[in-house]
Amino acid sequence: MSTDQVVTGTAAAVSHESSAQLRRRNRSRSRLGSVGFHVGSLALTAVVLYPALWMLMSSLKPSSEIVGNVSLVPTGASLDNFVTALNGIGGVSFWTFFWNSVILAVGSVVGIALSSSVSAYAFARINFPGRNLWFSLMIGTLLLPFHVVIIPQYIVFNNLGLVNTFVPLLIGKFLAAEAFFVFLMVQFMRNLPRELDEAARIDGAGHIRIFTAIMLPLMKPALVTASIFAFIWSWNDFFGPLLYLKDPSLFSLPVALRIFVDQTSTSDYGAQMAMAVLALIPVLLFFLVFQRYLVAGVATQGLKG
Amino acid sequence: MKRFTLKSMGVAAAAALVLTACSGDADDTDSGEAYDPEAPVTLTFTWWGNDDRAERYNEAIALFEEEHENITIQGTFVDWDGYWTGRSTEAAGRSLPDVMQFDLSYMREYSENQHLLDLSPYLGEQIDTSGFDDALIESGAIEGVQVGLPTSTNTLALFYNPNLLEQTGVEPPSDDYTWEDFNDLIAEATEAGEQTGDGEPIYGGGDYTGTFWFFLQWLVQEGKTPFNDDGSFGFTEEDMAAFLELAAPLRDEDLVYPVDRGIQLLPLGGFTVNESATEISWDNFLAGYVADSGTEDIQMMPIPTGSSGEKAMFFKPSMLLAAGANTEHPEAAATFIDFLLNEPEVGRIFGTSKGVPAVQAQRDAMELEEGSVDATVVEYEEAVAEHVTEPVPVPVKGFGSIEAEYKRLAEELAYESITVDEFVELWFTEAEMATQ
Repeated sequence: MSTDQVVTGTAAAVSHESSAQLRRRNRSRSRLGSVGFHVGSLALTAVVLYPALWMLMSSLKPSSEIVGNVSLVPTGASLDNFVTALNGIGGVSFWTFFWNSVILAVGSVVGIALSSSVSAYAFARINFPGRNLWFSLMIGTLLLPFHVVIIPQYIVFNNLGLVNTFVPLLIGKFLAAEAFFVFLMVQFMRNLPRELDEAARIDGAGHIRIFTAIMLPLMKPALVTASIFAFIWSWNDFFGPLLYLKDPSLFSLPVALRIFVDQTSTSDYGAQMAMAVLALIPVLLFFLVFQRYLVAGVATQGLKG
Repeated sequence: MKRFTLKSMGVAAAAALVLTACSGDADDTDSGEAYDPEAPVTLTFTWWGNDDRAERYNEAIALFEEEHENITIQGTFVDWDGYWTGRSTEAAGRSLPDVMQFDLSYMREYSENQHLLDLSPYLGEQIDTSGFDDALIESGAIEGVQVGLPTSTNTLALFYNPNLLEQTGVEPPSDDYTWEDFNDLIAEATEAGEQTGDGEPIYGGGDYTGTFWFFLQWLVQEGKTPFNDDGSFGFTEEDMAAFLELAAPLRDEDLVYPVDRGIQLLPLGGFTVNESATEISWDNFLAGYVADSGTEDIQMMPIPTGSSGEKAMFFKPSMLLAAGANTEHPEAAATFIDFLLNEPEVGRIFGTSKGVPAVQAQRDAMELEEGSVDATVVEYEEAVAEHVTEPVPVPVKGFGSIEAEYKRLAEELAYESITVDEFVELWFTEAEMATQ
């Protein structure tokens, strides 16, 4: 689109008389450009979506037809794979895995929305001793690779007897240990006009009142963005559940998915594909419903200030 | 459940007798306290595998709990890669499960760091070893410490697809074929220029020099000991180069299954998509081959004969059972290990899905259908028993990484980006670091 503007600009500079003619030519050229743009985008979409479509179609094929086969159309489509997937693994039903994933994802969203917003309020609005130091330390934890803390964390949770429960996976979220989200909200809150809470203070409101009545409603875009990320990350998390959940009836979907493809024995690729499709549906729906908030949230972030 | 009741009651009675026999001298075990076989105990047990294996284990666990009412087993499972990630984290926290399915390649690493329980005090006590071959028990010991016991055995086999061979007009090899004969077979079948129904060219076989275990098998045939007791190598650069050169004529003329197509097909391979007529592999792969290729007719025969005129094969212990060194109930863990190893019903439940059971009683309990996958694998192991003359090479520390390095270099060799000499040099440099 910017090229169009440039072209118009130079054309106008060349001559004033033939401007009407030029404009017409430009319009037809831009229509041509627009057709080209859309065809190009569609082709790109097809390329990008092909793996997803392949997964969807493969879930309808028998296992032997899946690997090494790039064609989309199954020779004999059947829903057998979905039946296998829904039957679950080793006596644990698909819905148990599904429900576990839901608990973890919703727990993460609630935890992060509650804890990160409160912590962000403290960092952005309350002047307490060592605030900048604590803030830098919190940002510092972002620089710490996840892999460095796995083993110490595991030992701590193990000694507390919390392995094989959801606690290790959720407690950090309720204690604002996710520095990324706290940072996101602090930055958002710093951009909100201070006059608003000063006005509230004059009216006699304390921190709790200011936070709940003034800040929270204004922070909706940041909360929505954080919730969406928290949901998707938790839904797709494989490593955490793999380490902390031992009992198959506590497994989340990503862990269960892997069991269908075990290289040391027969692999059921069809069932894995079917389960992948089933596992994708909620997160896809979630994204479709909230994507406009997601874009709005990120956009507000960038425009303010 | 009902139809096992009678049988399992008999077994329970027998087990109870064995248990009472043990409890008499349980005091000698070094746990400090006397073991009370009646005390309620909960054991954690973990394995890798798919949903089918999970169902079989659940059935075996239910049977065990029926017999030992005081012991509760908490079973858990994940896939192979996730399994070792989980175990290494637990090992760091000294919280390994009480009983684990274990693999030979990780044995030395976990044993050297004292993560595994020494089972020797329980042999002949809770664990009945009368059904085992001595060499097989030995294979689960590292430097005198009995860290594991194998559930089953595997040995190498040549798999071939008779339909593809017939299409290419090549006869399956005779029993005393050599590596050179095998080369000729691959070359002939590829040169026939036949195609599959989808128009893909049919090959005689893949480059067999690309698998580290085949190299070890070849070394054993040449009368060499791959790994010495002190963890050093019993082979030289020349040995490795000689093995890699075996298939050089095939590689040079592009007669082996192309590496790029093979990688494209991962996790399947040329053999499982019916584009390659032969493949050497572990005999327990038959079930997977039949399932993945959709071809019922896959035949097995012994591996090629070495230059000494012997096949010099070995049984690789597989699906070992080990106990975490941190277990609070070593006797109960040993009782459960014994049950999985010796109980005939467990043999019936698993069939050959974990390999051919190591104990005769379990082999006999399998309900083998004539011509089924299970029957074929058992028949194969019984038939090649005469060729199995050597002990398995016990992997050195860092085996996993030197095996992976070998595989990676073999791929580069197939892509012709390195020569055999460079392969050997690179591998030895890497291996010296990994095994220190």
